[in-house]
Amino acid sequence: MPRETANSHPVARSGLASVFVPGLGQFLLGERYRGVGILLGFLLILGTTAWYGEPFWYASPILIWVWNIWDAVSLAGGRARSILLPLAFGLAAAYGIGWQVVEIDFSKANVDRAIAILRPMARPDFVQPRREVNQMWVPVQVPCSSEPPLARREDEGKTAFVMPDCGGVGETLIVSASGLWPNAETNIYWQNPIGNPLMLGEGEITMLTLTSDENGAVTAAIRVPSTALVAAPDPTLPQFHRVYFEQYRPTGGYELSFIGNEVLKGALATVSMALLATGLAMVFAIPLSFLAARNLMGGNPVTYAIYVVVRTLLNILRSIESLIIAIIFVVIVGLGPFAGMLALALHSVAALGKLYSEVIEGIDPGPIEAIRATGANWLQVVRYAVIPQIVPPFTAFTIYRWDINVRSATVIGLVGGGGIGFLLIELIRVNNMRGVSAVFIAIAFIVIVLDYVSAKLRERLV
Amino acid sequence: MLQIQNVSKTYPNGTQALKNVSFDVKDGEFLVVIGLSGSGKSTLLRCINRLIDPTEGKIIWDGVDITAAPPAELRNIRRKIGMVFQQFNLVKRSSVMTNVLSGRLGYVNPWMSLLGIWPAEEKQRALEALGRVGIADKAHNRADALSGGQQQRVGIARALMQDPKLILADEPVASLDPVLSHSILQYLEQLNKEGITVICSLHFLDLVHRYATRVVALKDGVKVFEGTAQEIDRAKFKEIYGEEAQEVRAASL
Repeated sequence: MPRETANSHPVARSGLASVFVPGLGQFLLGERYRGVGILLGFLLILGTTAWYGEPFWYASPILIWVWNIWDAVSLAGGRARSILLPLAFGLAAAYGIGWQVVEIDFSKANVDRAIAILRPMARPDFVQPRREVNQMWVPVQVPCSSEPPLARREDEGKTAFVMPDCGGVGETLIVSASGLWPNAETNIYWQNPIGNPLMLGEGEITMLTLTSDENGAVTAAIRVPSTALVAAPDPTLPQFHRVYFEQYRPTGGYELSFIGNEVLKGALATVSMALLATGLAMVFAIPLSFLAARNLMGGNPVTYAIYVVVRTLLNILRSIESLIIAIIFVVIVGLGPFAGMLALALHSVAALGKLYSEVIEGIDPGPIEAIRATGANWLQVVRYAVIPQIVPPFTAFTIYRWDINVRSATVIGLVGGGGIGFLLIELIRVNNMRGVSAVFIAIAFIVIVLDYVSAKLRERLV
Repeated sequence: MLQIQNVSKTYPNGTQALKNVSFDVKDGEFLVVIGLSGSGKSTLLRCINRLIDPTEGKIIWDGVDITAAPPAELRNIRRKIGMVFQQFNLVKRSSVMTNVLSGRLGYVNPWMSLLGIWPAEEKQRALEALGRVGIADKAHNRADALSGGQQQRVGIARALMQDPKLILADEPVASLDPVLSHSILQYLEQLNKEGITVICSLHFLDLVHRYATRVVALKDGVKVFEGTAQEIDRAKFKEIYGEEAQEVRAASL
């Protein structure tokens, strides 16, 4: 009896159908797209929640299922329900699961570490105050020989000595210098026989810095650094090490710091890398673009086959990010800007080839017809009807590509492609955040300037 | 005299644009070709200077068979035939001067022209040609900076540079408003009075009445009428343009 009722009553029948298969009731009522859409949406959400396995999120497919029954029943009565509701259920589950998959956890954020990085970044290492240096050193024998020479040296009115005259690793020595600048900060450090500086401050990782007295003298007790003999071929053989005293004082004005100089060199390398890559790409892309232009190559089956092959090759090449190509070229030609340049060039050949060929495909045949009609020969037709139409857009696209290549070149440096990106990754590795900040500023500057210049140039061409 | 003898043109896709068309054009005529869009007017004009090669038939100009001319001779023939187009066909990015000078490509040293070097007398000639159509002051503008009527005048100046004996004008005023139409056609009429033969395709019948010394009508590639404009009566009109056609007039002069 109830079954008969279900069959004879559209409301109950479609409701029942949607109970068993979401969307089936709607489908049977003639709303086929709606029915299939509901089923696919339901299965998608069900599949996602089942894959993630968090029981809480099963609420979403269940709510959609309930809505679907309500909708089927309403639809039988002639009124559909808004699909915003199930959409909201589905999105809630999708975002919720997404949130958990991405492992969003604000408690992981470490403010102290952030400050440790951001504070030096506020002082980019580009320039430093111009300064002069006052230097003095004294030799000291490590380890002691039977008759160590006097550890004392005089130079330009400055005197420095070490007591005793020699020492072994870890032994305490008194070092002293006089005749230096008075009341000035003085760095004292050790230099081993092969010229590497070793620090004498706390834990041998900080610089020992003292202030000279009013007579320009400074005295300190130091330990012979534990690493003083690390590089020595024979640690028992006495060698001359040095103790350095160094003072700096500003002379007014600023000069480029070491890092600043490196940043400038890197920026120049990056821009020229992109320039060279673009130029090289242009040389290869121009002939290829003619082969990839349908209006020129569509004439007969042979040329059409060439067109298809060239187009396909360009498309494949273009789909590989230049960063990936760079990794391959780094293996082939080694680290440095050359690898980056080749990678950029290869990618640009594909990109420019396609852009150029589209220009060629878009040229107006009218002028060609008109110039032919004047009795011009083939070369004259190319010179007067084709070239004026393609050179400005070709140039505009090439400049645009150069602009893109400069941006890519900074990233390619990160995988060993040379230029400013390479400098950046090196500075990140040694945790030189002031240098990193200088690189960031340089990159932003290059990109903004180039963007502006290329936009202006292209504006004039098109 | 230009003799068009049994010219047919079938395009590679099978379209028959011209079917056995024959007529003569005497020197000094202003011959207007009329017909619906797609009736073969443009194809016919392009067959005369062989921008399109006819499939069959001959076109003989002053005793020379254009259809049989080898490439070098064809270029020599073409430079005596000026052409004016519906869409003007100027190189939009080039200057007006360059566009006009390009009409002279058949005459000058080809190597110098490839370098873009033009003799002073050719530049002078270009300025005179621009002066004749009243836009000498626009010589150094970019072609696309000009209005439609001005662009068509550049097109006429370019044709003038060829020192033509014949001008082919393919719907020269179809992209222009009626007032400009008359001004362009008056330039062509003036050239015609100076002895240049003009073959011109036109849409508007009142323009045909005003300018044509003789009319050829095409319908589906077949010549359906040849005579003076006055001979086109209501019946002929219906025959050329179809039963439903209404005569549309360009603004009266």
